[in-house]
Amino acid sequence: MGVLPSNYYDFFGIEHRLDLDLRDLERRFYALSRQYHPDRFTLKSAEEQQTALDATAILNDGYRTLRDPLARAEYLLKENGFDIGEQGSKNVPPELLEEVFELNMALEELRAGDESARAGLEEARAKFIAMRDGIDAELKAKFAEYDGSRDRKVLAEVRGILNRRRYVWNLVNEVEKELAGAAA
Amino acid sequence: MSYSDKVLDHYNHPRNVGSLDRNDPNVGTGMVGAPECGDVMKLQVKVDEMTGVIAEAKFKTFGCGSAIASSSLATEWLKGKTVDEALAIKNTDIVNELSLPPVKIHCSVLAEDAIKAAISDYKKKQDQRKPVEARA
Ligand code: FES
Repeated sequence: MGVLPSNYYDFFGIEHRLDLDLRDLERRFYALSRQYHPDRFTLKSAEEQQTALDATAILNDGYRTLRDPLARAEYLLKENGFDIGEQGSKNVPPELLEEVFELNMALEELRAGDESARAGLEEARAKFIAMRDGIDAELKAKFAEYDGSRDRKVLAEVRGILNRRRYVWNLVNEVEKELAGAAA
Repeated sequence: MSYSDKVLDHYNHPRNVGSLDRNDPNVGTGMVGAPECGDVMKLQVKVDEMTGVIAEAKFKTFGCGSAIASSSLATEWLKGKTVDEALAIKNTDIVNELSLPPVKIHCSVLAEDAIKAAISDYKKKQDQRKPVEARA
């Protein structure tokens, strides 16, 4: 066995795309799992056994990352220098922060209220989920655009959309926690 | 994950929660967020016109305990400092004071960013004011 590719896409032998055929990915996962299964290495050298173990680790991590569209996008962004930790990758439009802040304030008020606040919370949840769905649709379109063009400008946009999604995702979680707690 | 006593103290008794009038020319407002976790923080300072010293500092944070503690501590430190002294506050100072673990460093960065944003907002407002005063 040669040196294993540590990049997930390369390991699976697929193109570095944002949109993936999940059934193809799964087929490759099973094929590679068989190829590196420890049982096939019991009679091999210690070195080869170790390589098989390493391969299995990359395989599992890679599968987990690549089959989840958000984790996959973060991975591809990172390999292209758009890691969330990078300076400049964090920038979100100030209006978005203002809006998220206001939504959080409203949520806090609803939370402080009694049972009558429930309707408001449910309304807020519907609103946040609609926002999230809108963002997901936007992401899907950008994934396709990037795969078609390989334009780094599109990656910068994907970075921005993912950041925005994170804030909205928080709001959804907060309001759901609240509704679940109120029901209990 | 366990929080240090200082974090817990600020978390349970946050200092200076609230807001200042953002239309006041002597108030600087910083609104920042951490996309890693989706937390948001607002920090405001009010500068005394005569002395140039920060007279009041307020914050409101929707985020984790470390972010709340970092911003609470920041508002305590800000009071009594000049604008330039305020800019010298580093996130590492906050990390040390609160004994934040590595995974919580971005929470202190958020507080430093908030201070910078508030001060720069204040400075911008002051600059806009000058021509008006010159005319008067
Ligand atoms: S986890 Fe987000 S600011 Fe602390």
